[in-house]
Amino acid sequence: MMFLSLRQLMARKKQSILILMGITIGTAAYVAISGMMLGFQSYMLEQLVNNEAHIRISAREEVLTAKDMNAFPQVIHIFWHLPPSGRKDSSRIDSPLGWFNKLDNDPEVAAYSPQVVSQVIFSRAKVTRSGRVIGSQFERQVKVTNIEKYMKVGSFKDIGASGNRLIIGSKLMEQLGTRVSETLLISTGNEAPQPFKIEGVFETGIKNIDETTAFISLVDAQKLRGRPSEVTDIAVKLFDPNKAQTRANEWKISSVDKVLPWQESSASILSVFKTQDIVRNSMTISIIIVAGFGIYNILSILVNQKKRDIAILRSMGFTPRDIVGLFLNQGIILGLAGGLIGLILGNTICHIMAQIEVVPGRMSGPGNKMIISFDLIIYLKAFIIAMTSSIVSSIIPSREAGKLEPMDIIRAGGQ
Amino acid sequence: MIEVKNLSKTFPNSKNPVLKEINLKIENGDFVSLVGRSGSGKSTLLYIISTLDKGTTGEVFYDNRKVSHISKEEIYVLRNKQIGFVFQFHYLLQELSALENILLPARKAGEYEKRKPLALKLLKEVGLEGMENRFPSELSGGEQQRVAIARALIMEPTYIFADEPTGNLDSINGLMIIELFQKINREKGTTIIYVTHDKEFAAKARRQISLTDGVLC
Repeated sequence: MMFLSLRQLMARKKQSILILMGITIGTAAYVAISGMMLGFQSYMLEQLVNNEAHIRISAREEVLTAKDMNAFPQVIHIFWHLPPSGRKDSSRIDSPLGWFNKLDNDPEVAAYSPQVVSQVIFSRAKVTRSGRVIGSQFERQVKVTNIEKYMKVGSFKDIGASGNRLIIGSKLMEQLGTRVSETLLISTGNEAPQPFKIEGVFETGIKNIDETTAFISLVDAQKLRGRPSEVTDIAVKLFDPNKAQTRANEWKISSVDKVLPWQESSASILSVFKTQDIVRNSMTISIIIVAGFGIYNILSILVNQKKRDIAILRSMGFTPRDIVGLFLNQGIILGLAGGLIGLILGNTICHIMAQIEVVPGRMSGPGNKMIISFDLIIYLKAFIIAMTSSIVSSIIPSREAGKLEPMDIIRAGGQ
Repeated sequence: MIEVKNLSKTFPNSKNPVLKEINLKIENGDFVSLVGRSGSGKSTLLYIISTLDKGTTGEVFYDNRKVSHISKEEIYVLRNKQIGFVFQFHYLLQELSALENILLPARKAGEYEKRKPLALKLLKEVGLEGMENRFPSELSGGEQQRVAIARALIMEPTYIFADEPTGNLDSINGLMIIELFQKINREKGTTIIYVTHDKEFAAKARRQISLTDGVLC
């Protein structure tokens, strides 16, 4: 029946093209919007996953209670005049060596980097900015995060093992009104400010990081805090970032320290992604449903118009199944053609969008271009949506046509 | 051979039967006209004989096989290979050329290429040589009806059923169709049964069957 289906489609060019356009636009919209949103999402995810750590182990900032101060094991009851309160004087991981040992022997851990993270005040001349410095061993840090990729000036290695050298976020440097090779003062508030020389600049594109963060060596950071050999954080990179949540849950059980997988630390962004997905899917599905209704309408009308043809075809031995095929084929052809053209159109739109420059530079990839996902899954999904909607919407009128008995049509006067 | 035994037909929404206890025998090679006034049940009888409709009681036999005992699939094959239909409104498919319309039953049987020469021959026989690529909209009513007759003949069927084949045509074209039937019946031995309310056309048949209020007379 394919031959006759095609003939009938060709005989109604205008209608066919209109429906084709509906499906094409729906498919192309899905591809383009998904490409844009998923491109953005994957970029954000990559930053979330790789700029920080897959799992961050940090000291629990513990508030003290009377229970914690049980310094008299032989006494059963202690009555305090004034129960102790407050918090531990410093946040540090109590047994970093225990952690190192554990991480070294964990087959899922790709790398880890002990860090000292402190809230500090940067100052240069009369300008001050608050922020944080992350002290780390560069050879470990580059294995855990992507920081080396985001260096604008210099190399991350330049922080060295010690020697008060600094890698600074681009925005922070701007705000301080300084430049590479100049010297800043950094103060934790408790100790005397120390001078650091700017050796390099990084830019991740994430405002929060670029505006507040600087990197120094682990030893310098410990000195800055006045607490040698202490570690406040351990950044862990896993081979598979998706396992971070389960791994972190396991570690939490046997540890007093805070263990935070990236899924938890960026839960709010992940939920934004979910909302985006819902918007994207419901939008395209509604476009496709409208196109589906179009197919349904046109085929229903066609079945009505072609009743005499159905009668004559049945009288010459064509089966009800042939008749169903006659109309179903048309829906499938429209879905197939509309889907394929839509994929090509969507792909073209994606390529054009990938050329668009995003001026502020944030949320954009290399060369300040928009990031577009060309994931095969998008194309597969778009095609499946187009095909399903056109098949489903043509099945109903086609089956009605198959049920028509030639005699009923003839008796009704062939109308 | 077609045999009709005690056939009655009552439509679901009426009390009076359209056909009452019809008994009829049509030998192969016969040339029969079914006549009667409108409402006499002649078309209904034709459609029941031709398997498109069913009687309420009674039976139709094709070569001594009860039609009601033949499976649906076999009926479809029977319609395709043994039966040719000609309708009053010629019912050509508008999207197909004359040749493609004629070859539709052959396409169903998977004999499109094989029967192409026959289709061209039939076109010549019905006086439409060289018009194989015309579309129905480019043909006159008489020409369309002749294409429909060529289509009915393409599978070289045993039977041709025609429901008022001249009903939509002027008398010259109508006569041409009936004469074409005569020629087909004479040369190919095809059994032809046609319904008409025109006495002149009915008289051209070898055998006239007349129906009045659902009874043969």
